Amino acid sequence: MPKTTSTSPAAPAKPRRAATAPAKANTKANAKAKPPRPPAADRLAATELTPAQQLDLYRFMKLNRMVEERLGNLYRQGKVVGGLYSSRGQEATSVGSAYALAPQDFMGPLIRNLGSMLVRGVKPREVMMQYMAKGGSPTGGKDGNTHFGDLERGLVAPISMLGALIPVMAGVALAGRMQGRGLVALTYIGDGGTSTGDFHEGLNLAAVLAVPLVVIAEHNGYAYSTPTSRQMRIQDIAVRAAAYGIPGEIVDGNDVLAVHAVTRRAVERARAGGGPTLIEAKTFRMKGHAEHDDAGYVPPELFEQWRGRDPIERFERHLLGGGLAGEAELAAIAAAIDAELVAEMDFALASPMPPPERALEGVYAT
Amino acid sequence: MTAVTYLEAIRQALWEEMESDSRVFLLGQDVGIYGGPFRVTAGLLDHFGPERVIDTPISESAMVGAAIGAAMLGMRPVVEMQFIDFISCAFNQIINFAGPNHYRWGQRVPLVIRGPSGGNVHGSAFHSQNPESYFQHTPGLKIVAPATVADAYGLLKAAIRDPNPVLFFEHKYLYRRIKGELPAANGGDGGSEAPPALGRARLARPGRDLSIITYGAMLHVALEAAERLAAEAGIDLEVLDLRTVKPLDEAAILATVRKTNKVLVLTEEQLSGSVAGEVAARIAERGFAWLDGPVHRLCCPDTPVPYSPTLEEAYLPNVDKLVARVRELASY
Amino acid sequence: MATEVVMPQMGESIAEGTITKWLVKVGDKVERDQPLFEISTDKVDAEIPSPAAGVLIEIRNQEGETVPVNQVVASIGAVGEAAGAAGGDGGGAAAAPEPPAAPEAPAAPAATATPDGGGAPTPAAPATGKAAGGAAAAPAGTAPAAEATQAAAGEETANGAASGAAAPAAIGPRRVPAPAGGADGAAAVAAGSAGADGELAEDTEDERLRRFSSPLVRSIAAKEGVDLQLVEGTGAHGRVTKGDILGFLEQRRTAPPPARPAAVPPPPAAPSLTTAPPPAPPQKPPAAGAPAPASRPTGGFHVPAYFEGENVEIEPMSKIRQITAAHMVYSKATSAHVTTIFDFDMSRVARARARAKEGFARKEGTKLTFMPFIFKAVVNALKAHRKVNAAIDGTNIVYKRDINLGMAVDLGHGLIVPVIKHADLLNLVGLAKAANDLAERARSKKLKPEEAQGGTFTITNPGVFGSLFGTPIINQPQVAILGVGAIEKRPVVVEDELGNDMLAIRTRCYFGITYDHRLVDGADADRFMNDLKKTLETDTWTELEPYA
Repeated sequence: MPKTTSTSPAAPAKPRRAATAPAKANTKANAKAKPPRPPAADRLAATELTPAQQLDLYRFMKLNRMVEERLGNLYRQGKVVGGLYSSRGQEATSVGSAYALAPQDFMGPLIRNLGSMLVRGVKPREVMMQYMAKGGSPTGGKDGNTHFGDLERGLVAPISMLGALIPVMAGVALAGRMQGRGLVALTYIGDGGTSTGDFHEGLNLAAVLAVPLVVIAEHNGYAYSTPTSRQMRIQDIAVRAAAYGIPGEIVDGNDVLAVHAVTRRAVERARAGGGPTLIEAKTFRMKGHAEHDDAGYVPPELFEQWRGRDPIERFERHLLGGGLAGEAELAAIAAAIDAELVAEMDFALASPMPPPERALEGVYAT
Repeated sequence: MTAVTYLEAIRQALWEEMESDSRVFLLGQDVGIYGGPFRVTAGLLDHFGPERVIDTPISESAMVGAAIGAAMLGMRPVVEMQFIDFISCAFNQIINFAGPNHYRWGQRVPLVIRGPSGGNVHGSAFHSQNPESYFQHTPGLKIVAPATVADAYGLLKAAIRDPNPVLFFEHKYLYRRIKGELPAANGGDGGSEAPPALGRARLARPGRDLSIITYGAMLHVALEAAERLAAEAGIDLEVLDLRTVKPLDEAAILATVRKTNKVLVLTEEQLSGSVAGEVAARIAERGFAWLDGPVHRLCCPDTPVPYSPTLEEAYLPNVDKLVARVRELASY
Repeated sequence: MATEVVMPQMGESIAEGTITKWLVKVGDKVERDQPLFEISTDKVDAEIPSPAAGVLIEIRNQEGETVPVNQVVASIGAVGEAAGAAGGDGGGAAAAPEPPAAPEAPAAPAATATPDGGGAPTPAAPATGKAAGGAAAAPAGTAPAAEATQAAAGEETANGAASGAAAPAAIGPRRVPAPAGGADGAAAVAAGSAGADGELAEDTEDERLRRFSSPLVRSIAAKEGVDLQLVEGTGAHGRVTKGDILGFLEQRRTAPPPARPAAVPPPPAAPSLTTAPPPAPPQKPPAAGAPAPASRPTGGFHVPAYFEGENVEIEPMSKIRQITAAHMVYSKATSAHVTTIFDFDMSRVARARARAKEGFARKEGTKLTFMPFIFKAVVNALKAHRKVNAAIDGTNIVYKRDINLGMAVDLGHGLIVPVIKHADLLNLVGLAKAANDLAERARSKKLKPEEAQGGTFTITNPGVFGSLFGTPIINQPQVAILGVGAIEKRPVVVEDELGNDMLAIRTRCYFGITYDHRLVDGADADRFMNDLKKTLETDTWTELEPYA
């Protein structure tokens, strides 16, 4: 049974020797020998994003991963209440897609979309306090993990029943149109969640009403222990889009630039009145369903295979190879995140639990 | 002012709220072009347009979900269940999304789910239900069951204006069978009197000897029984119309117990796990010292609603059954 | 202040984890998040990182130990900090201290004090060695303790026959309904008291309604000082309705005084049904742990052991004392005790003993007392009078085919009765050895539980301490017990061969047999005793010749 190890957060990933682009002669990193071109599969999609924006993407993905690693340690130190969910390996899908939204847009994340929430402005301490059930968490201790929302930041909290968020986000999109806000609603679903009635009802209603909704199905291979082969008879979730008369697109979920590009297209289409899009991001869930699940049902070869396609490592190779960043810069980013997280974590650890009286408060709105 | 039917009162309330508040919109099956099978929404599409009167696919769950999303963004959606029986198809959205939302992360969900409930119309098992007890249990919801024309009108307005998710059960038997005057407010003379508050019961008939606590169509059964009992047996019934099933107006319930000391709770639900049971439990717990007899309930038996008229008659409470039970309790 | 390292919860339903490997040892310096130990749970194996930087100052649970979730397994402190500075509770649950069970098996009375009244002694009672002392007391003790407490509250104890020890006693202090008003309440108490055992379930709905009416009516009655018993009830089951009592009050108001409903005075307090007599302090439960005796007369008469303010010292009874106490009253309450005393001439036995004593001691390594002679004689008499070697089971006589002689041994702090099994198969020497061995092991607390069980007849020896004769209590479930008095020289009248009377000095001994008159009649006992007498007074004890 593969062990879940706690990794030391300090060490940055070593960049592989791979570089893409020709002549960025002024970069110090490239002053040394020219490394060979990377294999085609490793090449990331073309993008309209500037280098600064790409570094932003990198920062968010790294933050995503490092927050979850910290949470993993906290979990093993008995500081987390209840279960802990990780999006390891899926950071590109969350970060790339959320980055394509405009400030007025709304997003409905699920438990493995921490990256999206970070892009929308959620702070690590908020997530940590949620997991630690602290009184100062965004829900005041009333709910846990990523089940929180904030309309100011365009975030809608999900419920645990999968699929339910889709019609709700369709309603958000509808209301946005009624209110003339020009907003787009983005939400996510897993391969397992696409089996639910609400997935069908929600997409159908959204399509019929032609609301500005984008649904990203993260095809990560497993719903808890159920592989997609036991979840559906089809290979590609995106083909279902045809049933609703909407476009369906497939994207390499571990290529953050590709994810960004396809989401951007869908968002703009929606904003222009083109109705919903179903995007299928091909990716892989690199850990178990939750921290207490060691994913022993996943053949080790699959993990091996996908480890080689780690979205963050691929992006690092892209940045380094393209001369968009040097190793020192990437290391500095990681170090800065680490320092930030220590502070965030200490804040969260030190904050108090909610007072018992709060248990009875807030049932009704006044 | 002419008297209108219970159904027209509902339509009037919808119309007025949509007129005065652009956030209010309707969704449901056949509510637009068709005006609804009972014609509750007739004419609204023409007047308010398709963006505000939306014909949806058959997806109760998605409809309610979309209403939740829209409500969170500040709209005031009113979802119609073609028959309230179909509300069970949206059970998950109601009890897991709408109800707990404010408690969980402080975000209100000001929506209304309305539709025709109740039996005595040969509707059989899936067009006659009174499902309030399923939802009585869910924190964060409100449940309203008007029994009069004035309340159908006023309480629907109150429900639409309430910042919480409200289930509004209109008894279909009453749709065209009762008529009444609408309150002067919003009737055209410009006055805007506030509608009655949710959560307040109404004393429909003051009495001395024994209290009937009820709501919905059963109110009229109780009132008719009261007339008969006064004439035949010299029993003076007090009748309390709950109007709001959740939250219950406990003060009014206890007040009537203190006054007459004998109580019978009358509802059109199956007996087990009923709202009547909750009322009875609260009386037993908090009104014990004033009781001069056990708390009785008259409800439907624990069966689905039967189809054939002779069976349904055996199933439903009626004036005869109520009179007999009251006599029994009165002589205790 | 040290930082605690806890066993984490790896999954919602996980309650414990096993430490499979420590990666550091006490005294090692550790960094924050450095892996400290590995665990294995039902769901997953994991490495657990350190919550703090510092020095590992203590490890509380070792490799291989399974530890509940959230328990502290180690602590990290500053260099030089001592273990135990960490907060939180200690390691695994400490084992509850064993009850101070003597390795002695409990008194044989305990064996028979188990809850089946007059039947065969339960072999199950004291199980094995150490646990036995506690265990045997426990079944006798714990269950009935509750009943004993309830009994102490003044309630009647168990009615009915042989279900003795743990027989369910009363249902507890009677729950007298709170009186609605003085009068009504008193009437209620009176009505309740009149009932035999206060069994509330016995009331019919009618009776209850008649008495209690409804909360409303009772509160009116209380307020107005009305005795509901005096108001005519027209309601269901004849209860007083609101209308009835309001009407009654109306009448009372308008009618002249004689109709004044005086409150019925409360009945004189029944002697200690619910309260002890005035000067008594709160009672300790009698012999907590002792089974209540069967068929103790009811009536609730009770004299407290001490009064408040009396100059006393209180010491809890030892287990053996509790068991003995229980057994004694149980025995008295079970058997129809009669004692008859005989005076035996032990001169012959004394002479035989004197002659053989030294040789016996030398050859057998153990003393030759009077007891083996008596045992032998008793065995012979029991063979001839099997009724005395029996037990009573309801209306059945259970004749014991084995002869297992119990011999009472005083331990100083209590009494124990080891049993010589199959005494009829032993000769004098065998009996002497068996007796001495059992007595010695009894005194040194090395007796096995089964060695104090299964006796069919008991011999006790008050004479050892100088008593002339006693009236011993039967050792249940036997039907007789023989008490041997002091063996001493006394002047007696003897006849010479010419028929002349003269005084002689003889070694005499009074033997008292207490027998259960349910089975053994006086004549049976006398016949038995005469056989005994014959053996002791005429036997030549030839088997002692080798030792003479």
